[in-house]
Amino acid sequence: MNLTLLGPELVLVLGGLALLLVDLAVPAARRHLLGYATAGGVALLCLYFVANHGAGGAAARAFGGMFVLDGVASFFKAIFLLSGVVVLLLAADSSPRLGGGITEYYALVLFALAGMCLAASANDFSVMYVALELITVTFYVLTSFERSRAASLEAGVKYLILGALSSGFLVYGIALAFGASGTMSFDELAKHSPELASNRLFQLGVLMIFGGLSFKIAVFPFQVWAPDVYEGAPVPTTAFLAIGSKAAGVVLLVRLFGFAVPDLALHWEPLWMTVAGVSILYGSLCAIPQRGLRRLLGYSSIANGGFVMVALSTMSKAGSAAVLFYLAGYLFTVLAAFLVVGVLVHRVGKDDFSVLAGLHHRSPLLAAVLAASMISLAGVPPLAGFFGKFVVLRAVVEQGAASHAYFWLAAVAIVGVVISFWYYFGVIRAMYWGGDAPDLTPIPISPTLRGAMILCLGGILCLGVFPSAIWEAAVAAVAGLGI
Amino acid sequence: MKPETLAWIILLLPLSSAVAITLFTRRNARLSATLSVGAVGLSFLASVLLAQSYAGLHVPDGEFVVTSVPWIALEGFKVDLGLRVDPLSLTMLLVVTGVGFLIHVYSRGYMAGDPSYARFFASLSLFMFSMLGIVLSSNFALMFVFWELVGVSSYLLIGFWFEKPSAADAAKKAFLTNRIGDFGFLLGIIMIWAVLGSVDFLDIQRSLAQDPAALGRVASLAGVLVFMGAMGKSAQFPLHVWLPDAMEGPTPVSALIHAATMVAAGVYMLARSFFLFQLASAWPNSLAFLQGISALDVIAWIGGITALLAALMAVQQSDIKRILAYSTLSQLGYMVMAVGCARPDAGMYHLATHAFFKALLFLGAGSIIHALHHEQDIWKMGGLASRLPVTYWTFVAGTLALCGVPPLSGFYSKDGILAATESRPILFGLAVLVAALTAFYMARLFFVALRGAPRSHGVEHAHESPGVMLWPLRLLAVASVLAGFWGIDGALRAVLGPGSGTGHGVDAGWLATALAPFGHAPMAAFMGLFATVFGFVLAFSLYGNSPQEDPLPSKLGVFSEWMRDRFYFDEIYDFLIRVTHDAMAGLADWVDRWLVGGLAVKGTAGSVDLAGRVLRLVQTGNLQTYAFLAAAGLVLVLWAMLA
Repeated sequence: MNLTLLGPELVLVLGGLALLLVDLAVPAARRHLLGYATAGGVALLCLYFVANHGAGGAAARAFGGMFVLDGVASFFKAIFLLSGVVVLLLAADSSPRLGGGITEYYALVLFALAGMCLAASANDFSVMYVALELITVTFYVLTSFERSRAASLEAGVKYLILGALSSGFLVYGIALAFGASGTMSFDELAKHSPELASNRLFQLGVLMIFGGLSFKIAVFPFQVWAPDVYEGAPVPTTAFLAIGSKAAGVVLLVRLFGFAVPDLALHWEPLWMTVAGVSILYGSLCAIPQRGLRRLLGYSSIANGGFVMVALSTMSKAGSAAVLFYLAGYLFTVLAAFLVVGVLVHRVGKDDFSVLAGLHHRSPLLAAVLAASMISLAGVPPLAGFFGKFVVLRAVVEQGAASHAYFWLAAVAIVGVVISFWYYFGVIRAMYWGGDAPDLTPIPISPTLRGAMILCLGGILCLGVFPSAIWEAAVAAVAGLGI
Repeated sequence: MKPETLAWIILLLPLSSAVAITLFTRRNARLSATLSVGAVGLSFLASVLLAQSYAGLHVPDGEFVVTSVPWIALEGFKVDLGLRVDPLSLTMLLVVTGVGFLIHVYSRGYMAGDPSYARFFASLSLFMFSMLGIVLSSNFALMFVFWELVGVSSYLLIGFWFEKPSAADAAKKAFLTNRIGDFGFLLGIIMIWAVLGSVDFLDIQRSLAQDPAALGRVASLAGVLVFMGAMGKSAQFPLHVWLPDAMEGPTPVSALIHAATMVAAGVYMLARSFFLFQLASAWPNSLAFLQGISALDVIAWIGGITALLAALMAVQQSDIKRILAYSTLSQLGYMVMAVGCARPDAGMYHLATHAFFKALLFLGAGSIIHALHHEQDIWKMGGLASRLPVTYWTFVAGTLALCGVPPLSGFYSKDGILAATESRPILFGLAVLVAALTAFYMARLFFVALRGAPRSHGVEHAHESPGVMLWPLRLLAVASVLAGFWGIDGALRAVLGPGSGTGHGVDAGWLATALAPFGHAPMAAFMGLFATVFGFVLAFSLYGNSPQEDPLPSKLGVFSEWMRDRFYFDEIYDFLIRVTHDAMAGLADWVDRWLVGGLAVKGTAGSVDLAGRVLRLVQTGNLQTYAFLAAAGLVLVLWAMLA
């Protein structure tokens, strides 16, 4: 067995444990430095991983096929690790607010990252479940980490109970699927995919698994938790939820429906399309009356989850590549937004529209980064979000030859984009033309966060202006899909 | 110097003067005027040299010298900056630069003391550049560019005294009315390009010579559309309304642009692209009811109607410049009618002579207005013969030339037009009637404004204008009298007349030339002469005794009111435009307010906003609700997929 295939997961878990030990020897005042060190370590790991596995290559298996490292897994691991770097930087910057036991926060982030990486490689129901629980359980703690703040605790409890419910769906679904097929292995399932597709019991099981995964992505009808939890949780956690947790759900959907039971997915076009279309409309419409950035981003994440489902609904390689590219763009865009939200919450204390007034006077960088992020989320060229939406819609329209319903889906998606202009540009208007600002004192930003913002800004621009490299990587990554 | 070089020099001198004045010498009025006058003077000299060197080349008829620089070279669309020199453009060059030079000189005196002296000359130079561009253009696209530039400079000069609301309005009116014609012109050019694939005069002429049916069913439509350009610029009915108002500009401008040169551009364009109008009648199916009517018929009738209407209007005007303006309209109608009767040479000949005597008349009127401190009402003039002797005598020469008294130039050119219409009895009758009316209103102007006793105090203190204004008058008077003997008609007939290209104009002795009309077309000559005499006699009987007010209204009654009020064209247009405008504006307002603003914008935004607010209620913040919704969602999915 080749343990090096599990390199990232092992490094992350061992690193987390080591961090907890080192914590004992570091005085409390210095502990936030551990956060920077951890971020640096994850960044090195990310670079090392991309350098070794970035090109994809043939699928390699471990643990008797329960673990697989292929193009899709590598692509997603890169996304997870990159998001981990920024989340850790943000956490290190906000350590005074997070309070005691800050090192535990870093360690939990590492464990969650390990879970995500494991999820990307899961090739078996049991690994999938373990990986998801590793993510979810750590997130229960991460969400309620600000123990002294009621909102954080409320968010934690909501996430805990609803997460437990969805885990229940998931594990019951796994049990049913196992009962119907007699195997936990995705490879085995793939071999029997055609006959399993018509098995009602198996269908019931997979539908429940779909429900459990949809909870992670926060799409209809399992989206209700997102706004409350996004609003209440500590900002680094929210950022991690928005990209890391969501991407983990997506990679498992891709793995399950793209590799294990592709025949089933092809029969379920109406389900995908409904989930996608309703999520987009729900997220976009509900975001309109919002006045808080985190809550707004919560609804925005539902709409963006809908966009991912739009791409998945095509069940084509172009659609899957579009999913990968979309998430890469979303990574930079949403992290940029949460970096700004983090600074606002920590330095100003609020993140609603009232503090946005005059932001471009108080901190031109914050205003520019948030504006770029909003414009990218809205899907305006030449930023990453535009190209992401473009490849998604292109994949859908290409699929329109197969079924006209895809044209309607594209139309719904475009209507959602138009509605989303309303609130995304509302944010920009509030910043630049927000009327009289009550307070015009400059907002200090630490150099590391400044660097992180510029990194995200660069990512937003690069993916929009020079999308070909990442797009080709995404296309190469999905080459092994069974659809 | 090579003719090609000379052609470029002629074109670019006025442009460089306009640029130099605008950028550098605006503050220096004298220097600006010198630059402008010098530029057009040199252009005139270059034109003379060009004419000489062209004659020296012995270019066969139907051929010409062309010089071009590539401008736009796209697949299927090629336009050169091309200049074309042939007897037609040479004649026009000499007229434009010659008359233009004299008017520039005159302007130095007339405009003296104006605070915007330099701007005036910059605009004049810009106009000269544009006008020469029209004359020299070798293709429709380039001509259209200069066509528009001429429109712009005309706008600038009519509105020169823009602080006067009437002048600003007149400038706008001229520009917009011209734009209507230009739109048709552009459509015509595009149509020709779309069918034949070229905008070059020579290419089009060749393709039409090879296959007269090359334009297919749009032949006549394209011709009429191109003619619309001439209708605007040469102020033909029904787009004639701008020209009388254009007299709000300074008088030299009226003389140069709105009498001698620019308004003649339409006629010149018709002559230049005459091959286009010779095609047999062919209309698209939707216009099939016009079958049998050729583009030339349309042109001839429009010209005839314009000539008659304008002459009638001129009879009852009392502003000296407006009388001349309507006279110009009428004469332009003559020229267009000649082109329509397939005699562009006659039209161009009249254009040339008319440029001399109409410029002379306008400058003379300007001299009178100048002497009377900007009094323009002829009923406040009178008795000017002794006080303004040079102006008086030159004005008389211009009047006689315009009325067509032999052996003055106007007689010969007008005779050519009458002869051209001989084969069409109605048009011929109309032309003779216009000739009589011309003699009548000019004689009326002469008796009321120049003869008799002074009718106002201003006249008694009137002084003759300075020499800088009088010399142009003298020179133009000489030209008006003698232009009939310069062989202009022969040169034009050689390139444009019936059977052109067969031989040069016959160089006969001056006496033979003087009497030629009576030999060629005695009917036209005698009828024209009779009409003129009739007009004079009638005018003398009414105005010869120097009445204090116009006796005509009491004799003609309401008809004279119609003539005075220009047959209410302005009022009708005003009404039509107001009605259609108001209706369209009302409709657009309704659509914008209720459909776009109300239903589309507010309706969409409102319903989306409402949907957002209602959906938001789902998010109660209550954990039990959330859990219930999640479980219900799963049940829904299972039911939808498995049931």
